[in-house]
Amino acid sequence: MRRHAQKEEQTEINITPMLDVVFIMLIFFIVTASFIKEAGIEIFRPAAETAEKQDKASILIAINENGQVWMEKQVVDPSAVRANVERLRAENPEGSVVVQADKDAQVGITTEVIDAVRDAGVSNYVLSTEEAQ
Amino acid sequence: MRKHSQAAEEAEVDITPMLDIVFIMLIFFIVTASFVKEAGIDVNRPDSQTSVPSDKESILILIKQSGEVLMQRRQVDPRAVRANVERLTAENPEAAVVIQADKAAKIGVTTQVIDSVRQAGVRDYVVATSKE
Repeated sequence: MRRHAQKEEQTEINITPMLDVVFIMLIFFIVTASFIKEAGIEIFRPAAETAEKQDKASILIAINENGQVWMEKQVVDPSAVRANVERLRAENPEGSVVVQADKDAQVGITTEVIDAVRDAGVSNYVLSTEEAQ
Repeated sequence: MRKHSQAAEEAEVDITPMLDIVFIMLIFFIVTASFVKEAGIDVNRPDSQTSVPSDKESILILIKQSGEVLMQRRQVDPRAVRANVERLTAENPEAAVVIQADKAAKIGVTTQVIDSVRQAGVRDYVVATSKE
């Protein structure tokens, strides 16, 4: 014990493995993160029991009860929905499209938006709902 | 310069700031990667080229602007849609369900009807619109 007390204790933690792990995790999450484009307004969703969770929702289109279509925090004309969806889709080809229609929104405007989404070449689109009580 | 060349060159790069940034970025991406899980139901639209297939019988559910739901020409309560669809598909397993909603009908009622159809086990449904 005496020999150790005379020499200076130098404990160096080797942090190389930790840096390795941290960098790999960081790159993994950067690559798999895809940002959600919020629609911009709050919606009262209709209730449904058979709803399925969407893992890769990235494009959100909101329709409020007055028939206004909101994308990326601004009002868009229904005829411009297709171009917007195509553009956002090009940025993120994997994401699905979620149409958040208010429960008092009209079917006509909603199906117009859904048709525009289909015309933009999207096949994985859903109508957003909330858990039925 | 001579003094430096005699002593062993020990260049110590201070990596503390880099670690700071890396950890903050990592935590940011971990947090934003697992987020908003929207739940939704499929709304199948009829193809624009083809109209409702007429070769097989289809079960028609009509939703009027007022929110009334009609099946087989009779008004039904939205909550009874599921039982009716189950009965009709039991009689006719091949039939597709067509939900024809008025353009001015509300999404709330329409979604309830779609949900009832899905609860009845039918995934082969189509949502069409009409104008009165």
